[in-house]
Amino acid sequence: MIPIEYWLIFSSLLLAIGIYGVMTRRNAIVVLMSIEIMLNAANINLVAFSSYYSSLHPDLGTDATGQAFALFSIAIAAAEVAVGLAILLSVYRRYQTIDVDKINILRW
Amino acid sequence: MNTGMFRALLVLAMAFLFVGAILQVSWPEATTMDNTTNEDVGNALFGESDASGYGLVMLFIGLLLLVALLGGVFLAKEEKE
Repeated sequence: MIPIEYWLIFSSLLLAIGIYGVMTRRNAIVVLMSIEIMLNAANINLVAFSSYYSSLHPDLGTDATGQAFALFSIAIAAAEVAVGLAILLSVYRRYQTIDVDKINILRW
Repeated sequence: MNTGMFRALLVLAMAFLFVGAILQVSWPEATTMDNTTNEDVGNALFGESDASGYGLVMLFIGLLLLVALLGGVFLAKEEKE
């Protein structure tokens, strides 16, 4: 079995990559992708801890609550992406750009 | 030092902090292999007995996805000049 530390390090590196993308990139689509990377880091944590808990307590049977919550999280992320991309499309039509530095006025 | 380099160093420091914190903890070693199946995930989602799962939550998430879809279509719609 892969030790829990490996999964946690993997997810924290993914989180750091996502934060770096949000902080440095100007393209709003890339920022959205970086946010998705951060969400996936959280999902990996959920599944890793759920699996680890089941491994530590085999007498309690398998507990897939973490996996179920990861599915919920993926569904919420899908909704977020749908609305985010639609907003970006609308912003592009208005300003002809999706540079986050240039679309800092939150009015139409 | 330019801003990009500063941000990269900041994120790198944060990543090292995370990794250090994880490695500081003495995690109990799991000896057995976890064998979670799709059936277990289904049981966790919908429950094995009455109202023990997250069926209602699934319903609301489906509703949320529908509203997000409709909102996305509304926002992405072509404007009539």
